[in-house]
Amino acid sequence: MANDPIHQFQIAKLIPIEIGGMDFSFTNSSAFMVATVAVSGAFLYLTTSSRGLVPSRLQSLSEMSYEFVANMLRDAAGSHGMKFFPMVFSLFMFVLVANLLGLFPYFFTVTSHIIVTFALALLVIGTVIVYGFMKHGFGFLKLFVPQGVPGILVPLVVLIEVISFLSRPISLSVRLFANMLAGHITLKVFAGFVTSLSAFGAVGVFGAILPLIMTVAITALEFLVAFLQAYVFAVLTCMYLNDALHPSH
Amino acid sequence: MEVDAAKAIGAGIACLGMGGAGIGLGTIFGNYLAGALRNPSAADGQFGRLIFGFAVTEALGIFSLLVALLLLFT
Amino acid sequence: MLPATLKRTDTSSRPGEGVAVAGEKKPGKAGRTGPGSGDPQHAADDELERRRQRLEASLAARGRGEGDTGNAARSSGAVGYGQALRLSSEFIAGVAVGAGLGWFIDRLAGTSPWGLIVFLLLGFAAGVLNVMRSAGKIADAGARVPTPDRRED
Repeated sequence: MANDPIHQFQIAKLIPIEIGGMDFSFTNSSAFMVATVAVSGAFLYLTTSSRGLVPSRLQSLSEMSYEFVANMLRDAAGSHGMKFFPMVFSLFMFVLVANLLGLFPYFFTVTSHIIVTFALALLVIGTVIVYGFMKHGFGFLKLFVPQGVPGILVPLVVLIEVISFLSRPISLSVRLFANMLAGHITLKVFAGFVTSLSAFGAVGVFGAILPLIMTVAITALEFLVAFLQAYVFAVLTCMYLNDALHPSH
Repeated sequence: MEVDAAKAIGAGIACLGMGGAGIGLGTIFGNYLAGALRNPSAADGQFGRLIFGFAVTEALGIFSLLVALLLLFT
Repeated sequence: MLPATLKRTDTSSRPGEGVAVAGEKKPGKAGRTGPGSGDPQHAADDELERRRQRLEASLAARGRGEGDTGNAARSSGAVGYGQALRLSSEFIAGVAVGAGLGWFIDRLAGTSPWGLIVFLLLGFAAGVLNVMRSAGKIADAGARVPTPDRRED
């Protein structure tokens, strides 16, 4: 099917590798993850290699991305949070570049698979839990006991807080995944209308203008969503790291 | 097998209740927005009541979701 | 409440303008009254300068206002769109995790269907908590109590 909107998300094995009965194949998803890392790394390296005091256009772009994430982290988690800056910046750049790369025609969108986004979210939550217990010991569990709650309600509130905490990786990963998936499917469906309408001759070609306009508009919207989702992912990462740094809120 | 089919149909019917909750939420947020645009200075103060209304309305929708889940998974 | 907010925004916007006037306008005036006063080029420059200062002042006031309240409902456009997506997924994640946890507990302990019922409702509460927390409204819940009372008078 040429117009199958799901086809773009299929995983294809490029280099089949199998170790001990487990599938470690190098897929197109892995290839685009490598491409994402390469593009973001090359962008940051090449644009900052001149190190001009007066930045060129590209250098100021990478400086801007640095400043953007640094301010975000400092606002959310204070200056103590800056030790997590490499992680947050890598996550932000990875998600952003993966989203933007996915917008090229015929490219694979890494973040449209829930396992990728869920792994990223687990990384964030795992960091929060490990660092929280390392820094505060069992004082980290104070995160689940808000202050000023009447004694009888404490078990209920703790249970609710625990569920709320457990829902974080779910909401973090599902949001990114669902947005990318839905956006790309919508794009593909509208683009499919263009080809199937233009098969009906002159009237169809005339009618195909409308879905074509929609496709262009949705592409613009998808650029917005690509940036926005990376931003939201990074902001929430900062907020969760703030919980690990200062558990008693 | 027929019991399973009836359960699935029942779960589908139970989910209709969530549509009612959706209508209710639309009314609540629409009226909040209308009020907030008339008197923006009072909007922040009513946010708690907005969330309260949202929670109470959505709770009824959650009950129908609960019935659907119970039919499907027990 | 109303006079207080008015006074606060007033004072918050004034220092921004004051700084802009003190920092930018005086040197510009001192340097430019000498060479030529009736020059249209300089008039355009002055105009540009004035607009830049106004922009800076309004940007400063705006940044301060957003930092003050942390209120996302006031911001519009792209940020609002992101906020809406965030809130709904936050709520649904709470409910889904509650239901999943309840189902899992039921399977482990064989307490079907009570685990599902209880944990779905708890998950719903957690979802509402998530929404309120990400809307940034849970911290100042106590501070807002007097406002409705006054409005009802």
